[in-house]
Amino acid sequence: MKALAKKNLADALALLAGQATVWVPAKVAGVTRFAPWSPAVTLDLEATPPAVSPKEILLPETESLYRYSAYGMDVTFEAVEQEVPPTIIWGIHSCDVQAILCQDDVFLSREPQDAAYAKRRAATTLVALACTTPGPDCFCTSMGLEPAEHASTDVQLHILTDGYGVEARTARGEEIVARLAEKGLLVETIEPPAKAQACTRAVNPEGIDKKLVEMFEHPYWDELAATCLNCGACTFLCPTCHCFDLTDHRRNAHEGTKIRCWDACMFTEYTVMAGGHNPRPGKKERVRQRFMHKLRYFPERYGKWQCTGCGRCVARCPVHIEITDVIKEVGEVTLDG
Amino acid sequence: MKELHNVNVAMRTLARELLESGTVAGVYGWKKGSRPTLTSPLYIQDAAKADRLAYDQYAVSNLSALLLDHRNNDKKRAIFVKGCDSRGVVRLLQDQQITPEQVLVIGLPCPGMVDEAGSLLTKCAECRFPNPVMADQVLGGVEVSKQPSAPTGVTAEAARKVGVGSRAGERMAQVAQLEGKTAAEKEAYWAEQHDKCIRCYACRNVCPACNCRDCIFDTEKKGWVSKAATSSANAFFAITRAMHVAGRCVDCGECERVCPMDIPIMTVNRKLQQDIEALFGPYDAGVDETVVPPLGRYQTDDPEEFL
Amino acid sequence: MSALSPKSGSPADCAVTEGHVGLPVLDPPPTAAPDTGKTKNGEWQPYIVGFACNWCTYAGADLAGLSRMQYPPNMRLVRVPCSGRVNPQFVLRAFQKGADAVLVAGCHPGDCHYGTGNYFTRRRFLLMQRLLTFMGVDPRRFQARWISGSEAPKFRDVVTELTEQVRPLGPNRLWREVEP
Repeated sequence: MKALAKKNLADALALLAGQATVWVPAKVAGVTRFAPWSPAVTLDLEATPPAVSPKEILLPETESLYRYSAYGMDVTFEAVEQEVPPTIIWGIHSCDVQAILCQDDVFLSREPQDAAYAKRRAATTLVALACTTPGPDCFCTSMGLEPAEHASTDVQLHILTDGYGVEARTARGEEIVARLAEKGLLVETIEPPAKAQACTRAVNPEGIDKKLVEMFEHPYWDELAATCLNCGACTFLCPTCHCFDLTDHRRNAHEGTKIRCWDACMFTEYTVMAGGHNPRPGKKERVRQRFMHKLRYFPERYGKWQCTGCGRCVARCPVHIEITDVIKEVGEVTLDG
Repeated sequence: MKELHNVNVAMRTLARELLESGTVAGVYGWKKGSRPTLTSPLYIQDAAKADRLAYDQYAVSNLSALLLDHRNNDKKRAIFVKGCDSRGVVRLLQDQQITPEQVLVIGLPCPGMVDEAGSLLTKCAECRFPNPVMADQVLGGVEVSKQPSAPTGVTAEAARKVGVGSRAGERMAQVAQLEGKTAAEKEAYWAEQHDKCIRCYACRNVCPACNCRDCIFDTEKKGWVSKAATSSANAFFAITRAMHVAGRCVDCGECERVCPMDIPIMTVNRKLQQDIEALFGPYDAGVDETVVPPLGRYQTDDPEEFL
Repeated sequence: MSALSPKSGSPADCAVTEGHVGLPVLDPPPTAAPDTGKTKNGEWQPYIVGFACNWCTYAGADLAGLSRMQYPPNMRLVRVPCSGRVNPQFVLRAFQKGADAVLVAGCHPGDCHYGTGNYFTRRRFLLMQRLLTFMGVDPRRFQARWISGSEAPKFRDVVTELTEQVRPLGPNRLWREVEP
């Protein structure tokens, strides 16, 4: 296996950054999140996982879709063409790679594809980093992932004592490896990559999706929602939550830009209809929706969990509503008749 | 925590009695979480579940804002409170979000809350009101006090040992440090903090002072602020929130604790507290229900700078 | 009030046309350009939003106009029933929409048409001014003044003084709303 020594990492990133935007986990204002690499960036490859997922790279918090103007009958629309540079996400963990596959399902697997997402996704190369020391809230193994590697990445980096084992998985990955090798940044090694330690958090989700079909009206949701604050911390930190709102940035009464920004099923306004009716009027309905979506609707539609076990919602829920508890408790509750 | 063993037993017994007798329709307390170092909020309506109640040095959550879920409901709810939480309840009572008939406040002695690593939370080291400022009942021998006081009750010794209130005099240290910076540095610092905000509104939802029925940030139609988390809109949210709780913030520190982006929200709240005290005299929000918050009253001889 | 009244429409409509020689060309807030207007000779002009109470300051401004007093045309007045009506969001919104400075003005304490409104204004904005300073805003960019209905010269002086104070500060970019 080829290896990239730790001391060559900055050179490797600099080399790649010459031709692409390279997103790396970095400390930004005290928070570990993905940021475009530059020599000034403080790398933080140890965070398991980074506090903010790389979701924002492919699905920005806010993006402009088109500009409109309407003066009387004189109406025009003009698409906002996003410039999408070649993009490399370096140091992404298995949980977040899996999350991107979930996003692909949502935005690309059925017609019509989401043009803006498709464009960014097509320009993106994933360089996954093995995750060998899971954080206290990680449970990816329970959700069927392998923290040390992911099959659907372009390049897989393995952890070695003083560097990273580099393994290309796709043609695009080969290209990156070739470029690094060409500059003499890679050496051959026979060192076996570090194995991942077991997650301390574990849960068995098997059969939950089927059981939830019978649980829409179950009193369990009342109990679970009682302490929920209905904030959006869980959904915004979640790497697979993809709900968005289309709204206007108005310049004046006639002109503006249609923008897309993140939205969350936890918010009251999310389901309010034009006439004022809200089909999810309370906490219970909103909390239920979140877990039903992750553990039932998504698996029904796309055949995979919409939770990758990254543990971000577990770590940052203000009232400690933990999806692992939900999976466990749903498995345990009794169904009436 | 062994000092709290009897308090835990008493909590469960009391909750069971209150629910069985129908005195209250529900009880807010805490339960043990998925790790021994986590104690999370719990709401029970069934006396059989009273045994899940637990209270220890990890029960940091202030549950008072959850009472807002029942503001349109006449039934009584019981709530267990530490000193800081009790100020949240006073906030709701004073803002007439709930009536005294809707809540039964049970005061608990506070041992000083610690993080998962076991070190005392800054807000506890800076705490001036470790005892409930109001309570219908108390457990663990804690004394109700509307004055800044030393911890009382069965955990008084433990609280003193870990240093609850030991840095009360340094509460404004972070504010002073920022005030010492130049305008450009301050601007850069806050721009960075506001940029981080993801507008999850955890700070607002956990706050007992943020109790509007209809928040301008929930209804985009009203056109106050863009839903998009831009730097401009985030700053608008942060400052609006700060001004809205100015003079009403009960200093429980929950906004800062729940912020997933670690924005120093309490620094802003403390800055406002400091200025209010300097301009309009000493005031502790959520302590005495009969004293109107400073921005809701005036004096004809207030400082005058706008001539 | 100011000789310029914002019109709806495209940015070009809003700019003062060639005919108004000597007046600065200012973009009104709804179409706020990255930086506000310039005069013909290229000098930058501050854009100031003033919230004026209906009973005192607005009357004072009116009187200044009737008396043909000369003052810089940099302020747009927003008439409010009472300075107590101005809440912090108004001020922030003005900054978001391109204001380089904001003035809140009302009756002198004791003279409020509603009795006590401006006492609350005083407390609120004493505090807000300090908070904005804490966040790095130059205190000159946000001010409050008491101007009675008969104080037309004071209105003229305040507008002149504020404009001259803000001019050297340059455009305010903090919190400016930019198109996403």
